[in-house]
Amino acid sequence: MGSLDRRYRRLLRAYPPAYRRVRGEELLGVLMDATPPGRDRPAFRAAANLVRHGLRARLGRPASRTVVMWATLTAVICGLFTAAVATRLAWETGRPMPDRAETTAILAEVAPEHRFTDVQVSPALFTFYSQRVRLGDLDAILFPDGGEYEQSSGTANATGTPPMPAAAAVGTAEARLREAGWHVYSRSVEAYDGCTDKMCAVTATITTTSVEARRGDTLFQLSVTDPRIDPEVPYLSVGLRRTTPPAVLPAGVAGGLLGAALGWLLFGWASRRTEGQVAPRLCLAATLLLWWTPAVLAGPAMLVHHLHEPHPVWHPLWEWLGQPALAIFFAAGTVSALLGLAMSVAQSGAGAPATRKVG
Amino acid sequence: MREPTFLILTALAEGPRHGYGILQEVETVSKGRVRLLPGTLYTALDRLAAEGLVAHERDERVEGRLRRYYRLTADGSAALEAEATRLQQLATAARARLRAYRPATS
Repeated sequence: MGSLDRRYRRLLRAYPPAYRRVRGEELLGVLMDATPPGRDRPAFRAAANLVRHGLRARLGRPASRTVVMWATLTAVICGLFTAAVATRLAWETGRPMPDRAETTAILAEVAPEHRFTDVQVSPALFTFYSQRVRLGDLDAILFPDGGEYEQSSGTANATGTPPMPAAAAVGTAEARLREAGWHVYSRSVEAYDGCTDKMCAVTATITTTSVEARRGDTLFQLSVTDPRIDPEVPYLSVGLRRTTPPAVLPAGVAGGLLGAALGWLLFGWASRRTEGQVAPRLCLAATLLLWWTPAVLAGPAMLVHHLHEPHPVWHPLWEWLGQPALAIFFAAGTVSALLGLAMSVAQSGAGAPATRKVG
Repeated sequence: MREPTFLILTALAEGPRHGYGILQEVETVSKGRVRLLPGTLYTALDRLAAEGLVAHERDERVEGRLRRYYRLTADGSAALEAEATRLQQLATAARARLRAYRPATS
């Protein structure tokens, strides 16, 4: 067996096993006949052509003009979900949340003029209702409180009489941040008309000025509200978070590609075994609807949100997919997918129609 | 009907051919313009077989290589005839309009 023959056989592995058993020798013969003499390796175009059509053959249903579209939708959503899982795992490669000592040190460095009476340290990178996720929380995360699972933030609030006007507080904080080596982002200002008393007899424009800064893997956010209507409410709030660890992006890409490949192969396996049956198609349609709907709803909304506000740290991938806020959709889609796969397992596995007809 | 499909059916119109023979005949019919790759050919053959337009004819072994011959079915022949008629009608209409247009520009 020459090297060209071996290389073609390796490329033919893109085709499903049953197809290779019936058509492999024939295909190999045509490939060898069609290769100009003197070549010991396939041309890139021929190799890519074989892989592309081998992946198509894995879907079965040779007469179908839509099966590639369904397989692509399946592969993409599988890739997105596995990418999201991979990114979540990769978050654990970062440092834990700032503890009390680190928080106190940062506050002393950046805002020593203010008296922080309420310092809360977060127990984990991601929390559910500000608490570490426990097994017992899973049903609530599934429905209806999935949206409360989010990246956590340590907080500190300054109460009492402000030592300086709000504008000076913001400017001083920005200067101290820069001196301490933080990269300071542009301020963001939100204004709204609020009541100055309980009866709302007089209204005033209430402004919240926020400053975000980053140093290493830590994100600092300071917000000042002016005027302060209720003296019991903090006049200045600080939040501390961790930035996205460097491993998250490569993990997401690798996980996504692997998930997409597995999604394509699994779809193809089920498709070849269930050709001509209606029930598995319904399961697939239900799965894709339940898995894609949250992503289609959340993705654009998340994009608008990111464009509207500065985001030194982007929301994690799973939130772009509407998870776990709409986890009930994912769970229902998974049940439907498993049902479809169970129907595929129950088949005798007759192979692709073309192989049946030709063989 | 896409051009590669039309050319494959045309290649089989004269009689059964094996895979490599189809590739060669497609190149001849298209005067070298279309060179199908084997992956493309076999996806098309699978589809045409599933649609009942081509069928397996026989197998031969030549110099140790398996050669599987395909033939046009009656449905395949009818489909090719219909497509050829359609393309001819379009070509005739295009040529008639070109002949009518040319005297105005000369």
